[in-house]
Amino acid sequence: MNIIAIETATTACGVGLRTADGVELVRVVNDDRRHTESLASAMRALLAEAQLAPRDITHVVVDRGPGLFTGLRVGIATAIGFSEGVGCALVGVTSLELLAHGAYDAGVRGTLVSCVDGRRGEIFVQSFTLDDGVRGLSEPGVGVASDVVGEWVASAIPVTFTGDGVDRYAADFQSVTNARVFVQPVPSLHAALDLGQRREPAATLTPLYLREADAVANFTTRERPS
Amino acid sequence: MALVLGIETSCDETAAAVVDDRFHVLSSVVESSIDQHRAFGGVVPELAGRAHVATIGPVLRRALLDAGLDPLAPTIDAIAVTSGPGLIGSLLVGLSAAKAYSLAWGVPFVGVNHLEGHLFAPLLERADLEWPLMTLLVSGGHSLIVLQRAPGEHEVLGETIDDAAGEAYDKVARWLGLGYPGGPEIDRLAREGRANALALPVSMTGNDYDMSFSGLKTAVVRATQKQTDVALADVAASFQAAVTEQLLRKLRGALEHYEVRGVALAGGVAANSALRAGVAQLANEFGVVSHLPTMEMCTDNAAMIGAAGLHRLRTSGPSSLDLSANPNWQLADVS
Ligand SMILES: [Zn+2]
Repeated sequence: MNIIAIETATTACGVGLRTADGVELVRVVNDDRRHTESLASAMRALLAEAQLAPRDITHVVVDRGPGLFTGLRVGIATAIGFSEGVGCALVGVTSLELLAHGAYDAGVRGTLVSCVDGRRGEIFVQSFTLDDGVRGLSEPGVGVASDVVGEWVASAIPVTFTGDGVDRYAADFQSVTNARVFVQPVPSLHAALDLGQRREPAATLTPLYLREADAVANFTTRERPS
Repeated sequence: MALVLGIETSCDETAAAVVDDRFHVLSSVVESSIDQHRAFGGVVPELAGRAHVATIGPVLRRALLDAGLDPLAPTIDAIAVTSGPGLIGSLLVGLSAAKAYSLAWGVPFVGVNHLEGHLFAPLLERADLEWPLMTLLVSGGHSLIVLQRAPGEHEVLGETIDDAAGEAYDKVARWLGLGYPGGPEIDRLAREGRANALALPVSMTGNDYDMSFSGLKTAVVRATQKQTDVALADVAASFQAAVTEQLLRKLRGALEHYEVRGVALAGGVAANSALRAGVAQLANEFGVVSHLPTMEMCTDNAAMIGAAGLHRLRTSGPSSLDLSANPNWQLADVS
C-alpha cells in the first residue's frame, strides 16, 4: 500500500506520502492560500523523493473539511483527478478528526475540541473524547467563536482546544480558565495517512461545507460571465 | 494522431472533451448548474464552485468513455484547461483536476484563455474558414471585435466599456420579469414584437469599435416607466433591435476598415436569431465567408479549449504545474 494524503482545509497546503515499506514523507507549504499553485508540485516532489511513479499509488486520502472553501475545492478536485487518473482508491477524512488524532498522537487525553477557522467570525467545531482512542462526542458544527468558548466556560469541564480557529480567535479562548490549548495550526497529515490506510474508500467525495451556499448567495451574486 | 483532453470550468458549465490534432471532436460533455442560479437572476459563484467539484469527476470520465478511450489508460497526449478569465472559485476546480491528471498520466498540460477558446470554436466546425477572419465574440461576460490574421494571431479591435451584451439581455429580462438567462426568452418574444415600438438610443463610444450596453438597459427602464402600455413583445423587439444595431454597426465599421476573407460569430449571444441574420447579411454584402456556429459551439464547452490548447502547446509549449488561475486574464495579454 502506497498512500498519498492531501490537506488543504486551512491557509496551508500539505501533502503526505507513506510507502509500502513504511517510509513517511510530509511537506507543508505555509504560503498563504496558494493551494492551486502549490499542491500538484508538492505531490510530484514527494513522489520523486519516495522514488515512486504516480501509478504506484494505491490510495489517495483527502481532507474534505470543514475549512477554507477554495482550499477544499483545490484539494478534492486534485484528489479526484489523481485517483481517477491512476485508477486508485479515494478516501475522505474530516479536518476536525485529523486535529483530534493529531492531538491524540501527541499524547493529549481527555476532552478535546477541534476548532477550524470558518471565516466571518465563525469556527467549525467538534468535540472528542481521547482515552484509549479517539471518539466523537458531537457532530461537526459551525458557531461563533465566543459562543463556542462560552459553552465550555459554563461547563467547567477541563478541556483542550486545538486548530487554527484557536489562533484566529485567541482573545476569546484566553477567557477559558478550565482550558489549555494544543497548538496545531494544520490538521495532521500523519493522522490522515493512518486513517486513509484503514478507512473504506468513498464512491463519491464532496467537501464538508457545513454552511449553505445560498446563505452567501445574496452577497455574491454576479452577472453571468460565460 | 495526437489527442488532447480539454477541460472548462470558468463559469457555470463543467465541461470536458477529447479533440484530435486535426480539430475533430471525439467527445464533448457539458454539465450546467444553471438551474441552481435561476432563482438568483445570475450565477452565484459559490454555488457554481460547489457544482464543479460535484461533477468534475463524472464529466471527465464520460468524455474519455465517449471518445472510446479507457479512462484508466487513455492515449491522451496533453491536457488543455481554461485558466482564465472567469470565476476564481470555478476556475481552480478545473485547473486542479487538470494538473492532477497531468501528474497521474505523465502528460503535459497547458492553461488556455477562455476567450481564445471561443475564437477556436469555428475551427472545430468547418475546414473552409478563410483568413484573415473578423470575429464578433459576444456572451454574458464579454463583447469583443477581434481581428484574426491566422488561428491564434489576434488583435482586439474593440470591446464593451461597461456591460457585456448578454449581461444587458439578463438585466432587461429581469426588469421585464422574464426568466434567467434572458437571451433566449427576449429573442423568442422579439420575433412577435415591433422593433420601432420604443425609441431607444444607440450608444456612442469614443473608440470606433468599442461598445456600450449599460445605457440601453437604463433607457428600457425609463421608456417602459413612461409608456406603461407597451406590449412585452414590443419592448423585447425594440431592445433586441437596439443591441443588434450597435453590434452590427461596429462590425460593419471593422469590415470597412480591415480587409478580411471571413467573418465569424462566437459566444453565447451568437445563438441570437437577429444577430445571426444580420451577420449573414453583412458577410454577403462584403463578399466574405461567414461562420455562424451551432448552438453547442456558441456556448461554453471544452472542445474549443482543447483546440486552443493544441495551438498554444505548439506555439508556447506546456504550462508549469504551479500555474495560477487568472480570473481577469485579458485576451490581448495572451501570447
Ligand atoms: Zn464563454
